[in-house]
Amino acid sequence: MRERIDLAPILKDTVATAYCDLVTRPTGVTVRQRVEALIAASPHPTAQLDFGSIGLLDFSCADEIVAKLLLNHADDRPRFLVLVNVTETQREALDHVLEHHRLTVVALSSDGARPWVLGWRTPDLLAVFDTVTRIGPGDAGRVADALGWTVERAADALQSLALRRLVQAASGTYCPLPLS
Amino acid sequence: MIHVAAIPASFDDRGLDQFAQELGQWPPPERLLVDARGTTWASPYGLVSLLTLGQAIAELGLPKPRLAVPDSDDTRGYWGRVGFFHHAVEYFDLVGKIPKRGADAATDALLPVTRIAAAEDVHEVVGRLQEGATRILTSELKLEAKATMGFAMALSEACQNIVEHAGTGGWVAAQTYLWRRRLGRKVAVIAVSDAGIGFRRSLEPFEAKKVGDRWGDGAALESALLHGVSRFRIAGRGQGLAGIKRYLLRWHGKVSIRSGTARLSVLPDWDDDVPLAEHLPMFPGSQVQITIPAQEASGR
Repeated sequence: MRERIDLAPILKDTVATAYCDLVTRPTGVTVRQRVEALIAASPHPTAQLDFGSIGLLDFSCADEIVAKLLLNHADDRPRFLVLVNVTETQREALDHVLEHHRLTVVALSSDGARPWVLGWRTPDLLAVFDTVTRIGPGDAGRVADALGWTVERAADALQSLALRRLVQAASGTYCPLPLS
Repeated sequence: MIHVAAIPASFDDRGLDQFAQELGQWPPPERLLVDARGTTWASPYGLVSLLTLGQAIAELGLPKPRLAVPDSDDTRGYWGRVGFFHHAVEYFDLVGKIPKRGADAATDALLPVTRIAAAEDVHEVVGRLQEGATRILTSELKLEAKATMGFAMALSEACQNIVEHAGTGGWVAAQTYLWRRRLGRKVAVIAVSDAGIGFRRSLEPFEAKKVGDRWGDGAALESALLHGVSRFRIAGRGQGLAGIKRYLLRWHGKVSIRSGTARLSVLPDWDDDVPLAEHLPMFPGSQVQITIPAQEASGR
């Protein structure tokens, strides 16, 4: 289950402009606060931020909205974030700011292709993320078999994915986030 | 007494140093007459810098300078079309014939001279640039869609520097033109200028001690542009200029920032400018110029 949050109407409520660009830090702060309130009120653990009707996303807004949302995650209950309908240009801005903070997030392009891992990542992290996305829920042994790795290596990478909230972990089983 | 400062015939980033020399002491002890009669060409950088001069003088409470407008009809016409005179009347007593321009007159600029004072202004210029300039950037400069978005992003971040750091308003303009001698290609230029406190004063409380004896306008620019230092001591700040640099590196562009008596540039291989110029004649505030050349087939 997931909460879909469309950023365009929030932007329209935030700034009196005819355009649909997420630019400037003050705009980013206001939009993030609105998103945080929606996430806090949602019963679902996963929130999908929809960039579908957004044009430009600048570095300041990428930092204020996405990086700060990830940094401000409260620890009282697990929360997961997925970015959807992200364009190539938005992806570059997000990658840049998330790498700077050593943060990571899952994103989907509007063409519905395979999900990207944006921001800080390692080859092992990417390989395990792709595997979990492809084969579905499983434990470290299943992922290790699929990749031809040792169980320890797969377990380390899965643990890293879980800590970064790129998969949901429960009792040794790792599930991909709801992407649709 | 009146002090006459002539604007060079070609008024661009290099011409500004010459003009700053003409200004002499800062703040000017006498009323200024800015003489643009012999000016035949001005870049967006020249025009926004000139407005910055007028604004800085007004904010110091000094007598309103006079501005003798260019003799050339073409030059005057261009300054009028890009909205320069519309703003200049607030800061200068204009001397000479001024072309009439309605508020919504057509302009051939990517972005006419526009005042930036608040975040809403940044939204407006970014939206307007994308609305009006994408076709020009893709057809004339052969920029990919991704690069035109990056151009708008660079504009956004450069303008935000005014809102967040200058402590006062500023100006932005963008234009494409042919750099026949310097590059032999068309370029798109964004010029942003503010009459604010400048990079040295903005970063001084945190950086001066760290840098030590070398501290000055040049060192402040290095801290901001090369090391991503921001006066806001919060993780994630200072990424705007870093993002601009990254974009320009990819598209073989140039960024140059002048503040006080120094200018720092991140240079592409086509430019013969010095990376850091210090001990320049003082000019108020900060000026940023971002230049993107038309893409060559091999460079894309």
